[in-house]
Amino acid sequence: MADWRMKRQILRTASFLLMLVGLLTVYIVYLSAWEADDLAANPLNMRSAAARADIRRGSILDARGRVLAQTRQDGSRSYPMGAAMAAVTGYNGEKIGSAGVEGHANRELLGLSENLSRIGPISQLFQSDQGNDVKLTIEADAQQAAYDGLDGRRGAVVVLDAATGAVLAMVSSPSYDPNDIESNWKLLSKQADGALLNRAVQGLYPPGSTIKPMIADAALTNAATNEREIFDCNGSLDVGGGQTIRESHGEVHGRVDLRKALTESCNVTFGTLGMRLGDEKLKKAFERFGFDREIGGDIVMTRSHLPSFGTLGSGDQAQTAIGQSSLLVTPMHMALLAAAYANGGVIMKPYLVQQVITPGGTVIHETVPQKWLTATTPEMAARLDSYMEDVVTKGTGKAAQVSGIRVTGKTGTAENAAGKDHAWFIGSAELRNRRIVFAVIVENGGGGGTQAAPIARKVILSLQN
Amino acid sequence: MKNWSLMLAPLGFVLCGMGILYLKMNPNGGPLPAGAVPGSLNGFLWLAGAALPALFLQAVIIRRREDTVLFPIVLMLAGVGVAEIARLKPELMIRQLQWIIVGMLVLLLVLRFWGHIRRMLDYPYLLGIGCVLLLGLPLLFGTEIGGSKNWLVFGPISIQPSELGKIVLVFFLAAYLSDHRRVLTLPSHRFLLLRLPPLRFIAPLICIWGMAVLMFVVERDLGSALLFFGMAVLMTYMATGSKSYVFLALVFIGAAAAVSYAMFGHVRVRFDIWLNPWQDPNGMAYQVVQSMFAFGTGGIWGTGFGYGHPGFIPEVHTDFIFAAIAEEMGLVGAMMIIACYVMLFWRGIRVALAVRNEKEMLLAGGCSCLILLQMFIIIAGVTKFLPLTGITLPFVSYGGSSMVAGFLLLGVLLSLSKEQEHG
Repeated sequence: MADWRMKRQILRTASFLLMLVGLLTVYIVYLSAWEADDLAANPLNMRSAAARADIRRGSILDARGRVLAQTRQDGSRSYPMGAAMAAVTGYNGEKIGSAGVEGHANRELLGLSENLSRIGPISQLFQSDQGNDVKLTIEADAQQAAYDGLDGRRGAVVVLDAATGAVLAMVSSPSYDPNDIESNWKLLSKQADGALLNRAVQGLYPPGSTIKPMIADAALTNAATNEREIFDCNGSLDVGGGQTIRESHGEVHGRVDLRKALTESCNVTFGTLGMRLGDEKLKKAFERFGFDREIGGDIVMTRSHLPSFGTLGSGDQAQTAIGQSSLLVTPMHMALLAAAYANGGVIMKPYLVQQVITPGGTVIHETVPQKWLTATTPEMAARLDSYMEDVVTKGTGKAAQVSGIRVTGKTGTAENAAGKDHAWFIGSAELRNRRIVFAVIVENGGGGGTQAAPIARKVILSLQN
Repeated sequence: MKNWSLMLAPLGFVLCGMGILYLKMNPNGGPLPAGAVPGSLNGFLWLAGAALPALFLQAVIIRRREDTVLFPIVLMLAGVGVAEIARLKPELMIRQLQWIIVGMLVLLLVLRFWGHIRRMLDYPYLLGIGCVLLLGLPLLFGTEIGGSKNWLVFGPISIQPSELGKIVLVFFLAAYLSDHRRVLTLPSHRFLLLRLPPLRFIAPLICIWGMAVLMFVVERDLGSALLFFGMAVLMTYMATGSKSYVFLALVFIGAAAAVSYAMFGHVRVRFDIWLNPWQDPNGMAYQVVQSMFAFGTGGIWGTGFGYGHPGFIPEVHTDFIFAAIAEEMGLVGAMMIIACYVMLFWRGIRVALAVRNEKEMLLAGGCSCLILLQMFIIIAGVTKFLPLTGITLPFVSYGGSSMVAGFLLLGVLLSLSKEQEHG
């Protein structure tokens, strides 16, 4: 019997089958190695979303370890401080996306510090089912004091540590409660200037008189005036083209030097300085203080709107110098302006996240304060700082006085198209171990000295200890 | 050396036990919900309960001077299967272990009564009728489970007669083909370029091909249909070495495919999904698209056992278990599974080459091919290499009929491996 023939045929059949398996193997290699990234990233592939949903989101803590956001046992998220802290924590929802720290620290909160998926199962050693905790620079007490100070009025408060740029409080009002935002989402998202707008970093307002310290700085730096010059304020200033600038409440300041003019917030003096400086030098001053840029990093701040320098008439120059015209800035930026004078001319980059801490307690990220800008010289900063101290001790900002604490400031009462004037107060306070700076705005609140300065005082009191 | 191979047998169960221990290690870790892992000692008792008969059987195999590698490889595959089922459907793990024990019992019976069983080879026509009956039963009394009408339900037990049918088919083909080998190779008729024997000799073959097509069209069981047809072609070639049959078979299946594509909606759907699954990725093509995502997400090293999301694939513990392995153990794990099958196949072919008796040679070759072909069809299906089919991955997938049938095949191969010693 042709035994060998059948053996040969069996071998051939076997080789054919093995060849088929070989082809299949090549195809699987192609699928798992070449096609893998496309398949893994395919929007219909729910696996990476599911992997994230499996991770217990870490907590958000304030500077003293108080919980600002945490994950409950059932996986839902709770925000103990609710609406008062909403401008900081933001929110996170499957259908509504995320904002605030929940948004930009998302990877840290999920513990996805690096994308390790390509190293396979070993990545599981680094991936915990519990995300990292994020410790912020926020002082919950200051935040609450500021929120209570606004008392439901529209406005914003920003408090920074002048030496580091750490954000101690960031309040926006009206606010929303992140605990039940998903059920209120439809209503909230419809309001154009509503609760979802973080006024502290995204609200654009005319700065009013709070810009005057910078104008004084610019005038002295450019020798447009000196400390001995006496201005004669008769209550109104003809700025050409038939326009005049008036003092508020029809005041007449009489003969004032620059220090007195700032203390009394004299529009005539600063209007005059604005015209003397002219477009080019005004523009330079705004650039020195970073008004032409964004910050980057943790803080997503809207860029200021500057007048179109180079085409301004003398009237607009004078208006710009008293913080009107088409100049629009954010409360955050006004706090940074105050920081320049409180910190020897250097503006530190503001930041919110102090530390990222693993569930085991290891600090895997610690923010090192960074310089943002050198806005002015230490001498000039010291001089303006002393002017601003006068504002609080004998000028328009007396409502911010706190006994035993050196407080500086500048009030602002900004005219705007929306109605009553915006009440502003920016400044600094020397606490026992640090120098804080702040910017407060109450929309359509009226006078800065009466409406905004008391809120600053409350914040200082809350941080006193 | 023989004594060492005794220790090979429970290796698969050790691996499986470690896998389950690993799953238990992170009660809250990983994406597995707490309590999803078989909690009680029960699982481990059953695992030990399966390992003991495995040791006993391997001892029997060594004593009888049969192939000592086949059985450990099968247990390795089964062990991986149990671990994977413990991870995917923990409540089925003990069931699967019970099936493995039943399978080993069947294996023991086959080894013990091989002398009787081999006599079946002398009655090819009876085998043929038996095969037709087994495959025809579901046509008449079948129940549809999971889209295929190939199940028989007896009270609490539902079985797939096609699992047994495929073994009877291999027996029939081995018996019939070796009986008629000479006639079949006789080039009596010339038709175009083909050399064909008289029609009455190839009639049974055409009968089987036709049945395969029927199975697909009526029972909607493409996997078994492909398997039966493929086995018929492969074994015919092994017996006769005639390429004419292969050609004829390909023409036949091509024509049948074209006709059924034109006539039957569900056939058309199957093929359209295969050609372009992205047209309906959340509907008809959901399974295969999810399976491909599993391969993509797993990549080369996998996500790690217990850390993937194979649950997105429906029926992942039966037909799609290979996709789950590829997702969590990556290309590396998938290749090792395929390597196990190739080793199993190669040992089987060695048995076939060593046997003297023609019928048994064909039988051993057929059994080896059956396991590898089934593996090929299902893995090709879940990777979209071929249209998706609904058959199990032998020894790994969950399923009683398939597990018992697998051990039956193994029993045949082992018994045949003994023959070489005796001549």
